[in-house]
Amino acid sequence: MCGIVGYLDQTGGGRGRLGQTMLALLSALGCRGPDSAGVAMYGDPRGLVLWIKVGDGDGDAALAERVAAEIRTGASVLHADRRGPYLRVVVEGGPDPLGLARAVEGLDAAVEVVSLGRRLEVVKQVGSPENLDRTFGISRFQGTHGIGHARLSTESIVDLSHSQPFWAHGLPDLAVAHNGHITNYHKMRRRYETQGVRFYTGNDSEIIGVYLAERMARGDAFEDALQASLRDLDGSFCYVAATADGLGYAKDPFGLKPLIVADTDAFVAIATEEVALRRALGTGFAAVEPGARRAQAWRLPALAAAR
Amino acid sequence: MQTIDAGGKTTREVNAAIREAIAAGADTIRVTNPEARHNLGVGLLARVRLILEGSAGYYCGGMIDGPTVEVRGNAGWGLAECMMAGTVVVDGHAGNGAAASIRGGTVVVRGNAAARAGIAMKGGLLVVAGSVGYMTGFMMQRGTIVVCGDADEALADSMYEGRVFVGGKIAELGNDALVKEVTAEDRDFLRAALAPLEASPDRYDFKKVESGRRLWNFDKKELDIWKAAL
Repeated sequence: MCGIVGYLDQTGGGRGRLGQTMLALLSALGCRGPDSAGVAMYGDPRGLVLWIKVGDGDGDAALAERVAAEIRTGASVLHADRRGPYLRVVVEGGPDPLGLARAVEGLDAAVEVVSLGRRLEVVKQVGSPENLDRTFGISRFQGTHGIGHARLSTESIVDLSHSQPFWAHGLPDLAVAHNGHITNYHKMRRRYETQGVRFYTGNDSEIIGVYLAERMARGDAFEDALQASLRDLDGSFCYVAATADGLGYAKDPFGLKPLIVADTDAFVAIATEEVALRRALGTGFAAVEPGARRAQAWRLPALAAAR
Repeated sequence: MQTIDAGGKTTREVNAAIREAIAAGADTIRVTNPEARHNLGVGLLARVRLILEGSAGYYCGGMIDGPTVEVRGNAGWGLAECMMAGTVVVDGHAGNGAAASIRGGTVVVRGNAAARAGIAMKGGLLVVAGSVGYMTGFMMQRGTIVVCGDADEALADSMYEGRVFVGGKIAELGNDALVKEVTAEDRDFLRAALAPLEASPDRYDFKKVESGRRLWNFDKKELDIWKAAL
């Protein structure tokens, strides 16, 4: 089942409410996915932000120290602190962020960079959206847009790494949250693995970010990559994806997974069920279910104008 | 008129309040703040008028026998599923499987209905002012679907009996579905069916789709049809 949500502010204001809105959207879908909850939210650009899993539970303090030391050898650290199983580090943006992630992950098998980007921050854990807020205070987060996920596991295991959203490891700031099944996952995964791509989980949803990252690295615009996925991914799926300055969704050719979209002057809001939109944002706007085989993307107005 | 504020209540509490109001003799019940939650107004057997002041979630008005349910918003999947008798009117759009398996009564959607509208209908009437998604009328057995707008792929696939009228474009007919001539009798029927929408059938170029009945009985000489159908 799973519940997915997405939100993008179209006014250029309202940054202070992003976390509250995301939590309200996700909480309304909590019953669709009691296994784990997560959000990927986009704040103000500040160097490079990394959320690094350092072990399970509350994490491994010694390992966190080794990771921090490794980062200091290659980058200027602006801020570092421990949050639950994570080490969150802000560094001055260098020329090779993916190289930095690889170096950190090379230290120990328990280390995983869960989030990396100039604006992206992914936090996720086993349990409900309310618990996610209690642990990380996501409702206080300020930013422009985000996606979220409440997971009901059907095939792969329930732990932090298998939770969503996934940061797409091949591209900073790209994140995906998925509801459904990708049935050509194993075939695609084998192809990517022969190209040297590392997979972190046995969760079929992970392939979507890998796919989008590969297409965008080759020059596809975000929306074009979403459109192309309708042809290349098999199965019944809906997913939301976000970049540093955009939000989008894709819905499979059979439309077997629900997804409701509200596109207003003030915001774009996307949710698996309309109940999330009504509880989080009220009744003063229209919400429609896109047909099958649809993909669409929106850009942040302020950032789009600044370029 | 009795008003029930659904805000802050569980679905079970809202439905219990609706039943209590009916038991107390209310003939019109208004539910505010429905918040698109699921299973509202299911299993009602009284001739009551239920108004939802907002969107409804899945299975709204399912398994009802007699009431009139009005949704002042959208409805999610499985609208009026398995209804026996009564009327369900949605001002906005309806999700997948609207009027699935209904045995009687009337379902009116003023917006669009998504995929598999009227799937396995066993009677009754589904009227959609807008367009419908793919596989509308799939395996329907009796009853009528009227679509003023366009119909997506595999329309009326593998239907047994019943009929589907489409006022707009048909993207593709389903297996064993045939376009038949619209008779004068059909026009009278359409006039009555569209009355709740205050629309005239003359505004549309209605096509009638019925079963070719070639899938009713298996004949191995016709194996090719079955390969396509299955």
